[in-house]
Amino acid sequence: MCISVGPKYSVLFYNFRPKYKIKELGPKFKIAKVTSSPHQRPPLLMEQRLVAAVGRNPNLSPKSSVAVLSLITNPCTSDSTLTTIVETLNLHLQNPNSNHQQILSLLSALSDYHPRLRHRVGAAVHAFILLPSTPTSALPHALSFLNPADSTALDLFSDESLFLSLCFYECVKTRKWMLRNVSKFRMRPSVLLTVLLGFTKDPYPYIREAALDGLVMILNDGVVVEDRSLVGGCYFRAAELLFDADNSVRRSAVRAVSEWGHLHVALNPDESKRDWSDALFLQLCLMVRDMDMEVRVAAFNALGKIPTVSENILLQTLSKKALPSTKEKVYPGRYTAKLSKIPATAAAFAFLHGLEDEFFQVRRSACRALQTPTVLSAEFSCGTVDILMDMLNDDLVMVRLQALETLHHMATYGHLNVAESHLHMFFSVLIDNDALIRSAMRKTLQYTKLQKLAMFRSCIENLIKNLELYPEDEADIFYALYRIGCLHRKFVVKIIQEVSQELEPSFDGKLGFNKVRTAGLFVLAISAPVSLERKTSSIPPQIFSYAVTLLGRISCGLVEVVDENTLLTYLSQCSRFTFTSTSENFEGGLLDFGLKYNHNHLHEKSNEVSSLFPVTMGPKKFTTPLESQVKAMSCVEIIFQKVVDLWPLIQLGCMNEVTRTLRSWKEGISSFTRDTHQTAGVVVFALKYIHIIKLLGNAWAYSFTKTNLQLKGMGALENLLGKMERRLSEMLYRYVGMSRNEELHILELMLVTYAMRLSHGDTSCFEEYTKKLNSVIRSVECLHKEGPVEGSHFVTELLNVSHEIGDSEDKAVDMPDLLLNSLKLFSLKRIVLSGELKYLDAELDACGNDFQKPLPFVPGLPVGIPFEITLRNMSSEIKLWLAISVGHPE
Amino acid sequence: MAIECLVLGAGQEVGKSCVVVTINGKRIMFDCGMHMGYTDHRRYPEFSLISDSGDFTSALSCVIITHFHLDHIGALPYFTQVCGYNGPIYMTYPTKALAPLMLEDYRKVMVDRRGEEEQFSCEHIAECMKKVTAVDLKQTVHVDKDLQIRAYYAGHVLGAAMFYAKVGDAALVYTGDYNMVPDRHLGAAQIDRLQLDLVITESTYATTYRDSKYVREREFLKAVHKCVASGGKVLIPTFALGRAQELCMLLDDYWERTNLKVPIYFSAGLTIQANLYYKILISWTSQKVKDTHARHNAFDFKNVISFDRSLINAPGPCVLFATPGMISGGFSLEVFKQWAPYEENLVTLPGYCLAGTIGHKLMSAKIPTQIKLDEDVKIDVRCQIHQLSFSPHTDAKGIMDLIKFLSPKHVILVHGEKPKMGALREKIQSELAIECCYPANNETVLIPSTHHIEAGASDAFLQSCLVPQFQIFENQCWVYDDRVAQGILTLQNPRVFSQNELRDVLGVENHQVKFAHCCSAAYDSDWSPSISQKNSLLQLLFGIVSRDFPDCIMLDSQKSIQVGSFVVSLCSREECPSSNEDALHFCCTWSATDEELAWTVISLVKNVKLSRDFT
Repeated sequence: MCISVGPKYSVLFYNFRPKYKIKELGPKFKIAKVTSSPHQRPPLLMEQRLVAAVGRNPNLSPKSSVAVLSLITNPCTSDSTLTTIVETLNLHLQNPNSNHQQILSLLSALSDYHPRLRHRVGAAVHAFILLPSTPTSALPHALSFLNPADSTALDLFSDESLFLSLCFYECVKTRKWMLRNVSKFRMRPSVLLTVLLGFTKDPYPYIREAALDGLVMILNDGVVVEDRSLVGGCYFRAAELLFDADNSVRRSAVRAVSEWGHLHVALNPDESKRDWSDALFLQLCLMVRDMDMEVRVAAFNALGKIPTVSENILLQTLSKKALPSTKEKVYPGRYTAKLSKIPATAAAFAFLHGLEDEFFQVRRSACRALQTPTVLSAEFSCGTVDILMDMLNDDLVMVRLQALETLHHMATYGHLNVAESHLHMFFSVLIDNDALIRSAMRKTLQYTKLQKLAMFRSCIENLIKNLELYPEDEADIFYALYRIGCLHRKFVVKIIQEVSQELEPSFDGKLGFNKVRTAGLFVLAISAPVSLERKTSSIPPQIFSYAVTLLGRISCGLVEVVDENTLLTYLSQCSRFTFTSTSENFEGGLLDFGLKYNHNHLHEKSNEVSSLFPVTMGPKKFTTPLESQVKAMSCVEIIFQKVVDLWPLIQLGCMNEVTRTLRSWKEGISSFTRDTHQTAGVVVFALKYIHIIKLLGNAWAYSFTKTNLQLKGMGALENLLGKMERRLSEMLYRYVGMSRNEELHILELMLVTYAMRLSHGDTSCFEEYTKKLNSVIRSVECLHKEGPVEGSHFVTELLNVSHEIGDSEDKAVDMPDLLLNSLKLFSLKRIVLSGELKYLDAELDACGNDFQKPLPFVPGLPVGIPFEITLRNMSSEIKLWLAISVGHPE
Repeated sequence: MAIECLVLGAGQEVGKSCVVVTINGKRIMFDCGMHMGYTDHRRYPEFSLISDSGDFTSALSCVIITHFHLDHIGALPYFTQVCGYNGPIYMTYPTKALAPLMLEDYRKVMVDRRGEEEQFSCEHIAECMKKVTAVDLKQTVHVDKDLQIRAYYAGHVLGAAMFYAKVGDAALVYTGDYNMVPDRHLGAAQIDRLQLDLVITESTYATTYRDSKYVREREFLKAVHKCVASGGKVLIPTFALGRAQELCMLLDDYWERTNLKVPIYFSAGLTIQANLYYKILISWTSQKVKDTHARHNAFDFKNVISFDRSLINAPGPCVLFATPGMISGGFSLEVFKQWAPYEENLVTLPGYCLAGTIGHKLMSAKIPTQIKLDEDVKIDVRCQIHQLSFSPHTDAKGIMDLIKFLSPKHVILVHGEKPKMGALREKIQSELAIECCYPANNETVLIPSTHHIEAGASDAFLQSCLVPQFQIFENQCWVYDDRVAQGILTLQNPRVFSQNELRDVLGVENHQVKFAHCCSAAYDSDWSPSISQKNSLLQLLFGIVSRDFPDCIMLDSQKSIQVGSFVVSLCSREECPSSNEDALHFCCTWSATDEELAWTVISLVKNVKLSRDFT
């Protein structure tokens, strides 16, 4: 069926050839095709006529110009026509009488719409620029075509005379273009600097602004200037422009002063560095009282970047009146357009002006700028706490958040001295409506050192109140409680002693631990000091065992410092410091074993870390995608490490515990699956690995300890081993980027599978599995040859066995026992991921086929089924087979 | 040409602001205020100094009012309706809206309460306001062909503006009252960096340095909270416009945050009417109010209710806003009488109280005390007093910051107290190196200003202006761009030319100024060298000079030596009057640019002792 065109249009499209013949495939499909091609191919005759109109006259009439543009923008214009257009335009371009701007715009459109012609257009423009007759006014436009990275255009961008002639051309627009694009030109730095410096005196504010931006740009582009007087010259010139009448010039001047000021400070000898740094600080302080909001923001941004400032100047920023220490001091710089000495009192009230500002942008920037100086001076830091507390009252979340971040920064450097009067403010922030604010406040509290027990107590009470009001913050609050507890261990002991009654089970023997308050106190208790060596605890040890009942919730909060298992081990160990123990619920031997390893493990650590858990010091930033990726990776790594610890349990046949643990890990990992693609491969790998361990455990328990009650009856083991085999080969083939070690690990597990099957005396497919075993052995040997690997007793033994037996006649008789012996040597080793794993995946979806409206088909005729296939991580070399088989539903 | 500045009011005092400025022939009156401290003729500025004939309309180009406070606008109806000024008057839209309210309120108080003679009537106010042209912020108004004025935001009160006036190249800014720190309901003053000859600024707090506004707010809230928490009543006497709204916003916000349920009352009347105006004139308020008003108009106070007289002695805590601010009478006095004797109550006082008012007495009193209202009535004051430090005026730092930002050539201080103004003047002169004065009332100050001439420009000059021609001096990296400055102005038929055109324009030839000097080098008296010997002595000299000046060359077939433009040759004229026997004479010439070089070479030549041994 062809598209029918109404009679009205039939004249226009008299020789129109429809591009698509559309079969009746369903209405949706048809529409899609039609709309995907809004441009129709102009008839060839028309093309020729349009092109011909262009050719004659070098000055294109508006009509012919539009005709060319329509040809260019129509994607169906034939290549030959386009080539003709390029050539014609090129000819016109070289004609000194033509309208160059117009032709250049057309060429620009041409290279935008047809990237394959870009090279030809580039060459034409290049030639045009080099023509002596080319008017200077057309040059910037022409230059904008060329890519400075392109080797053919390089000569133009490194041509100093061209550059200078354009810069000094009388057209202001050209000059502005040149200055804005100054970084594209490969000039000698001395030429660039001279030109930029000169234009800072231009009468046009836009040129001055562009020149200043250029000065900043060339520094950022890595131009190295080492001449101190030249750097000083640029710095002072920029400083003069801080007093420009134009707002935008002042804005750029602030940035230029900041950048060149840093360089200037760095180039000065060490003994005068400090003075110059102070001078830069004061110079920028002047701009915080500018009337333009953006200048003020820029000034505070720049102030925050100054790494060293004298303490007396910082203290001056807190007071409006001149301090005795700064009263008489002057520094080089611009104070007003006329005065070239800045008194140190110019810093007066600088930060406070910013914090009082009407615009939140300025307040936020001023808050941020406080971060660096508060680190420099404890006394200054003390002075700013009050005002930052006031900022916590700000109307805008952004400003409050920034104020909290600054406080947090101060706290991490130990410069946050919280007085009792401040606590009230702090605690009111803890019940803020905004979750981000609450979280930032808790982060600040974590690092805050409180002087008195009363302050600590009210802090804990308020955190618990926070917990009661916002149960969704639980994990974060637990972490905060733990951290603040670690920081104030003596206070923790006192508080826990006070409330220990509350933590005891009630008289009727029930543990009333569902109260959030109790949970919070348990977390606090965990941070209490214990001595592992002497097996003493500073708080009643039974509290540790009570805490075990809330293990899941607590470990969720402490996930950043400890994983659930270690925490459990720690808690049970601490609780064993007395005679009572909650280990009755477990089989004695099992726990003994479990602890033996972890006990040693903890012993190693107890020497270095007083808190038992590795405490990460330094500020924790808010979670970023990268961080969650790292988190996923480290989580997977920890699990792989822990899997090894499970092996003895499997050997003992405690599959219930093992399965439970594995399940919890699986849940843990599953939470990452929605994250980034980078980790997706690893996460899927880990999930599959855990599954295999479960299967292996079950099979092992079945064949060696015969304790697994769930697996009974014939064929259960075969079934398990079959599943394992399939999973393992899937793991082997569906990942890209697996290292030799990983591959060996999987192969070893495969060997275990086959060995188990063979040793179990499954005679039905003896031949088949011997073959499989041998082929895997060969692959292992191949991998062994590639380089040294960590030996595994089991594999070595198995290799020996296979060599010994060879093709002997009675191998079917000897083999099971030999294999059984070698299997006994097997122990699970840790699998170490060496890098990124990519999971090959394909999704197939038959479109338009649903239950109510299946695809139409006529029996006996071929049927077209549209498929949507999504491929992940498939490289082009991989061949993909699509097998369709016909099944019978009955 | 000079700017003539006649201070008719607010010179070395606060009250009746009025400054008449003559600038390039135009006369502008800034503000037309009345002094609240006087009831005789001194309450008005001395208008007769403007014009002897009393024809103010032709004597003044325009009148500009900065804001609606009576000390800035109070005399306006008198000036227009009684004195007969009929020319243009400019003020901002909010000022135009609020000024009649203020004037009418004042008239009523004067006539109805104090029984004074009416200075101007209700009709006068209405007629006066009809003559007013309202302007917007940053709108340039061409008063006439030469005079431009522009308003800038000043903070202070709703609608307050600083005014920029420019005639030709002479320009000035009259600040009126302004605030450099934003408060809750108004923003900070905002002005462009302008080329100014003169800034006339207020100096109410010429030597005061105020603490951060957060500290002030904290103290106020703490005092109020403490009082209501212990069951007391808080009386906040305020002016109807400005502080009332500011404090109300502060309290409303605090009530909201801390969930306080204590009622806040507004005494009816002017204040409620004023609140209406604030709600409408959102674009003149602070950035925060502007940003949030789409969601919630900050002047829709959630916790504020209007007050009823019967509530004065109702039990329980409350907060009450009442006018007037200095407890000089009216409702605030009525409530004060009832509440002052109880210690749990609190009365706040504004930062500034006129002498004679109860507010002023309380400021210096020690509680508990007795205050005499009149002969018969005494009030026992046992309540707490909290002095507010909120002020809509900038402090000394703000004044300095504004002057530093504007960097005018001259500053005149008005609207302040004399000794403090003196201190501020010293500071401006020493710290910013800007001339400053603070004339008394009815004094005239002359300030030199830019002379303004209109001149044409030649094409060549315009052309040369387009092309950048900067120079950079290597040692200091000083940059000069002489593009615009490098022209020549002819004063007859004023026109600017480029340097190259000068000869054609003036129709003269090019002359070069050269210096000449006769320099002699002595030789032994018993020796008279021949011409050739003299020439070889010149050779010798060349050797000496070229040692110090390597770019030195021999010219004219070995007869002269040249260094730069400096040329030295043997004096050949026998009749030369300065010639004597025992010296060799040289004629030296050089152009003005090489003067220093020339004298160095000459001293070199003079120190040479020639003898025959050399030849």
